[in-house]
Amino acid sequence: MLHVQNLTASIGGTPILNGVDLEVGPGEVHAMMGPNGSGKSTFAHALAGRDSYEIGGTATLEGADLLTMEPEARAAAGVFIGFQYPVEIPGVNNMYFLRTALNSVRRARGETEIGARDFLAVAHEAMGLVEMNKDFLNRSVNAGFSGGEKKRNEILQMAVLEPRLAILDETDSGLDIDALQIIASGVNALRGPERSVIMITHYQRLLDYIRPDFVHVLVDGRIVESGDHALALHLEDHGYADFVNHDLDDTPELPLTGVAT
Amino acid sequence: MNGAVDPDRSQLGDPLAGVHLSTLVDARSEHPERLAPHLPPTTDDADAFLALNIAYGSDGAVIYVAGGHAVDAPIHVVHIALPDETHNVSCSGVVIRLDDGASATVVETSLGDGDHGGTNTRTTIALGEGSTLSHIVVQDVEPTQVHLGRIAVTQGSRSAFRSHWFNLGGTYGRLVCDVRLAGEEASADLSGLYFGRGSQTLDQQITVTHAAPNCTSRQRFRGVLDDQSTGVFNGGIDVRPGADGTDAQQSNDNLLLSDRAEANTQPRLEILADDVTCKHGATVGQLDDNALYYLRSRGIDEPAARRLLIHGFADEAVEAVDNEVLRAWITERLGHADA
Repeated sequence: MLHVQNLTASIGGTPILNGVDLEVGPGEVHAMMGPNGSGKSTFAHALAGRDSYEIGGTATLEGADLLTMEPEARAAAGVFIGFQYPVEIPGVNNMYFLRTALNSVRRARGETEIGARDFLAVAHEAMGLVEMNKDFLNRSVNAGFSGGEKKRNEILQMAVLEPRLAILDETDSGLDIDALQIIASGVNALRGPERSVIMITHYQRLLDYIRPDFVHVLVDGRIVESGDHALALHLEDHGYADFVNHDLDDTPELPLTGVAT
Repeated sequence: MNGAVDPDRSQLGDPLAGVHLSTLVDARSEHPERLAPHLPPTTDDADAFLALNIAYGSDGAVIYVAGGHAVDAPIHVVHIALPDETHNVSCSGVVIRLDDGASATVVETSLGDGDHGGTNTRTTIALGEGSTLSHIVVQDVEPTQVHLGRIAVTQGSRSAFRSHWFNLGGTYGRLVCDVRLAGEEASADLSGLYFGRGSQTLDQQITVTHAAPNCTSRQRFRGVLDDQSTGVFNGGIDVRPGADGTDAQQSNDNLLLSDRAEANTQPRLEILADDVTCKHGATVGQLDDNALYYLRSRGIDEPAARRLLIHGFADEAVEAVDNEVLRAWITERLGHADA
């Protein structure tokens, strides 16, 4: 479904991604882990279409060449990015924003637009998923939201937009355990055979709640190791030291199954 | 229209309990004592624009609300400039007087048609003790015309003046407002929006004078400036000796949509009393790239995302208007969809 080959990204000549290869099949959940500055967020935004990078390589989603598309076209093609730092937009009503987004995507997909009343039903169902209060729809987008509310709003948007590929960038950062469980159960409810998920995270903790099919370790802009959940557990015990400045001959023996590189 | 009241299109007399509406010409002969304190100053202490208004604008509207009456329906004064052989600029005056404990909403709109001329208005407002006035000014003359507006407010104790400006039209749109908080615990809440395109210059000149103790004032103005337009905010807070317990705040935020647009913002604070809280802040910025990207990542195309952000910025000023019908009208004028 998603094919990423030799993806590179740099800012002002400084390389951040140095050739990432990744295959994500329908319905799969991949976790992307790695130390600070390894390029995890850049990977997410390179796929979502932030224009601050010089990009190389290829990335296709169901055959569509993502890297030549504007961010809004990628969204219509089925890409969703959950922001690590959701942007506050004072003065823009959350419900209006959600409906505008959904109808933009529906228009681009050749579907009919959804009216205000029908949308309310869609929104309420999505809100139930992440346990959001009703008043939340009448507030400005993310303005004055707590950290947990912002992250729940991301998952709510994902539920409304029904993407084919959701890239969740540190959706677990800054969450207490209750909020983490709400987010995780929201994401789990949205898992399905036609929806793939890439979860970017520092911590294994999230993966206890959202069990990944594959785990990748990103260091210095490259995937240096891939495995299953056991890899994440190894990282929890040993940190990234084994992989930073790694020499492939010294790579520890890991109980690997389903290597995806 | 063109400085004279059009009786056929106006509702004069006593349309509502406690409200008397008359023309400035009639009021001069009928109730000179009511009008005397509010007559415009002589040309000696007027600037050129006001001198022009006084010289050519003898007519206009007088709105009087008797003590204790609360008027729910908005009272609408429309200044219309239709330049012809004998009139270039429509000069007119409005006098609003609320006696003690009265409350009302007055809307003043300036409109025009034609390729020159414009409106020159002066509004004199006197608020009795404990009275409340919502004053909404919509300046929307033709892009080829000029609007010069001047508002002078004198407030009695515990009175509340809420003013909302929408300075939108004209090649040059100038709104001048002088508020004098003359009685204790009076409050003035001035807010507004200027939205410039093309080569418009939209100019706000404001002075709030705290002349009595424990008064509150707010100035919150936002500007959106596109193309080669210029916005000016010159906001003064003048705290006179003895006006202790003053609480005055001022903010001016500008959004520049083009490299050639310009915002000039100047706070003026003069404080001659003790125990005073004064705050002022000004910002000039552009559309937030992160916010644009965020909206686009949700499938909203770039032009729509820009519109959402611009209207989000402007909406704070629109939201300040209580009256739903007025809010919808202004929203439509600003070109929102159903935001």
